[in-house]
Amino acid sequence: MWRTNLTVGLLVIGTLAVYTAVANLIPQVESAVPEEIVLGADARPDELVAAGEQVFGGAGGCTACHGLGTRAPDLLSVAGSVCTERSPDLSCKEYLHQSLVDPNAYVVEGFQPIMPDMSRTLSSDEIWSLVAFLEAQGGEVTVTGADLESDDTAPAGGAGGAVSTAAAPAGAGAAVGATDPASLMQSLGCVACHAAEAGAAGVGPAVPTMADLERDYIRRSILEPAADTAAGFEAFAGTMPATFGEQLTAAQLEALVDYLSGGD
Amino acid sequence: MSRLGAARRSGIDGAECGPGSPLSGCTHVQLEATTGTRRLSGRDGVSRAAGIIGLSLLLLAGLPLEALAQDAARVQPYGDFPVIGARGVIWITAQVHLMFAAFVLGVPMFAVVVEAIGIFGGDRRYDKLAKEFTRLLLIAYSATAIWGAMLTFALSSLYPVFWAYLTQIFGPSMILYASLFIVESFTLYLYYYGWDRWSAGRAKYGHFGLGVLLNVWGTIVMFIANGWLTYMMSPPAEVTADTAPAQVQLWSAIFNATWMPINIHRLLANVVFGGAIVGMYAAYRFLAARNDEERAHYDWMGYIGNFIAIGALIVLPFAGYYLGREIYEFNQQMGITMMGGFMSWLWIIQAFLIGVLFLAGNYYLWTGMGRIPGAERFTPYIKYMLFVLVIGTIVWATPHTMIASRDEIAAMGGTHHPFLGVLGVMSAKNTAVNLMILTTFLSFMLYRRANKIPVVDWAKSGTIAQGAALAVAAAVVLFYGVYGYFVTAIVRIGFSVYQVLAVLAAMVFVVVLDILMLRGAKSRGEIRWGQMPARSQYALFILAVTFTWLMGLMGFARSGIRQHWHVYEVIRDTSSQAATPALGPAATMISVCVLIFLSLVALIFWLGGLAEKPAHKDRDDLVTAVPAPVTAGGEA
Repeated sequence: MWRTNLTVGLLVIGTLAVYTAVANLIPQVESAVPEEIVLGADARPDELVAAGEQVFGGAGGCTACHGLGTRAPDLLSVAGSVCTERSPDLSCKEYLHQSLVDPNAYVVEGFQPIMPDMSRTLSSDEIWSLVAFLEAQGGEVTVTGADLESDDTAPAGGAGGAVSTAAAPAGAGAAVGATDPASLMQSLGCVACHAAEAGAAGVGPAVPTMADLERDYIRRSILEPAADTAAGFEAFAGTMPATFGEQLTAAQLEALVDYLSGGD
Repeated sequence: MSRLGAARRSGIDGAECGPGSPLSGCTHVQLEATTGTRRLSGRDGVSRAAGIIGLSLLLLAGLPLEALAQDAARVQPYGDFPVIGARGVIWITAQVHLMFAAFVLGVPMFAVVVEAIGIFGGDRRYDKLAKEFTRLLLIAYSATAIWGAMLTFALSSLYPVFWAYLTQIFGPSMILYASLFIVESFTLYLYYYGWDRWSAGRAKYGHFGLGVLLNVWGTIVMFIANGWLTYMMSPPAEVTADTAPAQVQLWSAIFNATWMPINIHRLLANVVFGGAIVGMYAAYRFLAARNDEERAHYDWMGYIGNFIAIGALIVLPFAGYYLGREIYEFNQQMGITMMGGFMSWLWIIQAFLIGVLFLAGNYYLWTGMGRIPGAERFTPYIKYMLFVLVIGTIVWATPHTMIASRDEIAAMGGTHHPFLGVLGVMSAKNTAVNLMILTTFLSFMLYRRANKIPVVDWAKSGTIAQGAALAVAAAVVLFYGVYGYFVTAIVRIGFSVYQVLAVLAAMVFVVVLDILMLRGAKSRGEIRWGQMPARSQYALFILAVTFTWLMGLMGFARSGIRQHWHVYEVIRDTSSQAATPALGPAATMISVCVLIFLSLVALIFWLGGLAEKPAHKDRDDLVTAVPAPVTAGGEA
């Protein structure tokens, strides 16, 4: 009996060892987390192009289709020169931006409309850097830092209406770009501590009770919660995070202040 | 950063939240709030797990709500775990839980079908066999529940914020899931313990109904859980990063793009898995048998297990195509990442494993022909079938669109191998797999026909028609396989449908004809159950281990294509373990999971044997009184 058990045990372990060894012998490719591209208004064209190249070969996943010559047009070396031929009303920069955030607006003949909307996965900075990189493929780079600083929905100085969707960094829990205070309260987790109804139990003051507070006080409480503690909530001092200044845009902060102060 | 510090530019700075700040315990209720997120030590992770259990007890003791809310507000997005990390814990608990879940879903399907054969065929041997399967389920159910509970604890303590997100969306379905699991367990107890009490007359039909009900509950439970995991893979289009979980509609979240394809694929895979595990159990009992009767019984049981496993395996690739197609429909980039991106090598491993399955399954059948009088007339064909299977496996496992380094491309002389690259395209692979399916099907038909002599007048023309159907199917497969090289990719993809339809149509036609043709067939001699070489039983072990490993690999593929997203393109994984590992480390984890699972299965088998031992003197109830059928198809 022990012999049968030993044989079976060795067979099982041997089979697993073979499979594990085979999987370890083949080329190992890890799917790394893409690094976030951070650029500012003073970004130089060469920095934009370098960042775009990084996105093209990494976070964008562009090389999965572009370059093989079967699924999608080959972009390297030519994208910057053919971009003005696609849509006569759009500049090269506008066309490339449109191709990334509204890819079905124009589909190159002979290819299927398989390109995803990149604004779901890339930030505005990443998209613009990608546009710069593609312009550099046989053309002149016209993307500037001003594009990054401009309205998220349109290329700077271009036909804003040509671009349909906002470019928001994916997965941003702070609802980047959105200024709906109710959604912000949800996505930021405010509602976990601040009850929607006056008198309800909570770690912080209920939302309706804030309507009488000064706008400056509310703003400071969001950005510097340790500066003051509401009466009756001393036991919970220090609970509220001090990171909202980094997570909210100015517009979102003001929308929240408006909402909490009663909309005045 | 364009948005970073927009509020700061308004002239007001926020204080830093980090380990060095006075607010190091500040709230992080967002997965994206990585700035200053403190990674906990393993000790902290254990403390938190203990804390969660403690909190639950305090809640029962009536702790004031405010205090609990304060603790909840301090939850960090991610926990840590010593040595293997949080991801390792989730991986192992989820994988082992899923393997047991597949076992307890697959075996009841198996049991109830065998019971039905016993009832409607009037053969009590099948009834006893079904009961023996069900006995194994009792302990397996406990193991499933234990690993499920461990997974829940691990998720809620190591990924608390993401877990909270899921519960906000799927809360009602989770309650239904838990309730149905209780109902399912109770049905199983009734089914097993009522077996002898409700063994005749109308009561037996009622008992059979319980078996059907057990499968219904199990299937619903699986469908519910599939809704959660497929939501993570393919959330509805209207759900974006800005969507609050409370705004996501439950049904819309469950009925997502990959839900039904996964349901179908898992349903079939569970049948395959259940058959393979039963086959392994039978193989072990065969090897450990003390007399010829036991050996004959477990030989028969192993045959049934293999029959079910390989039979369901034959149709599994079709479900796989459907799933793959839906993934591409949902998101081309996801599909391309899966097939041509960093996971491209995974499919080569998969092809290798499926090749092993086909070869081992067929080898078992061919070896089994040695115990069937009359089967020797088919022996000359085995070498040709083996040739098709080996060539098919090689073609299927030929790499094509791989992520290659500059040096590798230079060494190959291009992005594809100059000669083998031609075999790596889908035209060749689809052709190979369809021919392998047809060959395996032919093996089954020869096995089934081995000791039978048809007595109907049209037997000869019927056999010719069967052969012609298989030949036509093979020709269609080959034609479209070659033609695929001369058309565009989008046209070529459509050809796979014609190939699949040709194979399916031929199989249905041949089986129907065979059933009609073998009515009242004469026997060439009784099948000699138990007269199998030990090596054939080891093939059953390899089948079970390979199925289990393949299940782990496919699980990695399914969840790995989300890459660094908890919910694809909605909730980003910002933990330190967000990168998706390469195949090597993944394979090591899969092997660990399989080893844990099989060790526990061995324990279950041993416990099942213990339950049997007190009645050892009356073993004839189990074995002697349950002789195996005398014909190759299983019929008496």
